[in-house]
Amino acid sequence: MGVIGYGLGVIGASVGIGMAAFGATTSMARQPEVQGRLFTTFILASAFVEALALIGFVVTLIAK
Amino acid sequence: MNPLDKLSGEMEELLDGFMTQTVVGDTTVGLTNYIFWMCVALALLVITVFLFKKMQAKSLVPQGIFVNGMELVVEFVRDDLCESILGETWKKHFPFLAALFFFIVSNSIVGVIPGCHPGTGTIGVTAALALCSFAYFVVLGCRRMGVAGYIKSLAPKGVAFPMNLLVWVIELVSTFLRLVTLAVRLFCNMFAGHVVMGTFAILATLFVEPLLQEFSLVALGYVGASAFWVVLLIIIYLVEILVGVIQAYVFTLLSAVYIQIVENE
Repeated sequence: MGVIGYGLGVIGASVGIGMAAFGATTSMARQPEVQGRLFTTFILASAFVEALALIGFVVTLIAK
Repeated sequence: MNPLDKLSGEMEELLDGFMTQTVVGDTTVGLTNYIFWMCVALALLVITVFLFKKMQAKSLVPQGIFVNGMELVVEFVRDDLCESILGETWKKHFPFLAALFFFIVSNSIVGVIPGCHPGTGTIGVTAALALCSFAYFVVLGCRRMGVAGYIKSLAPKGVAFPMNLLVWVIELVSTFLRLVTLAVRLFCNMFAGHVVMGTFAILATLFVEPLLQEFSLVALGYVGASAFWVVLLIIIYLVEILVGVIQAYVFTLLSAVYIQIVENE
């Protein structure tokens, strides 16, 4: 059951990280000069989202 | 016989290997395996820094790949993490932020060597790091504005009276939440990455086993799958090195952002 719960939790994180990548690539294509600053923001945003998925993963493993 | 049958038993063993075990002494006074590898990483870091200082002093122009590489990393921390976020006050906070960054990076690098553990793979170490960062910006805020002033400054100015209190409570909770998220993010990234690497390594060995027992076409097929797991393992290994550096970057960046919020009040 825990594994199924993790799969459900990852849906949200995957949508979030996909949206972050979508936004970053779209704005980089429109305005290539801001690439450097956008990259920092993108990494930061994906780290926030990724942490949620990883918390789910670790909780699944630890709390059985 | 399906090799996947044994996986759950092996996974239990793998997870036991990731739990904290004492090497010397007991749990109150002693050395656990994670703290041992943290000390190794710290020793390596100190040696690298002193070697760098010594080699850098040799000539005015930096020479060699080691000195130039280290200078590149230090300048990256200075420009991208400190100066771009903190503005003019970066000089005051650079030692703390650089120490955080290099400590986490050295731990991640030691952690990806097979057989070693990352010091940041246990919640105790990351919680201590997060507490350092938390104490740093709270003390900085208290020094700049006084204790009462800092507590008051959590609520943004220009909000009407009843909403003011509500926003203040939310901001107070989110300030303490920073402590938790900093610690949990780093711990989860390190722990989860290493568990995934271990799982692929176990899968690679489990799929070779049928061939050792008897020679058949199915067993040969399993060996092909095993080669696939090894390729995945190498990819995950490279990703794990990247994740270690990115997490150090994120941890330092967030600390810098929190300090900047306090500095700009």
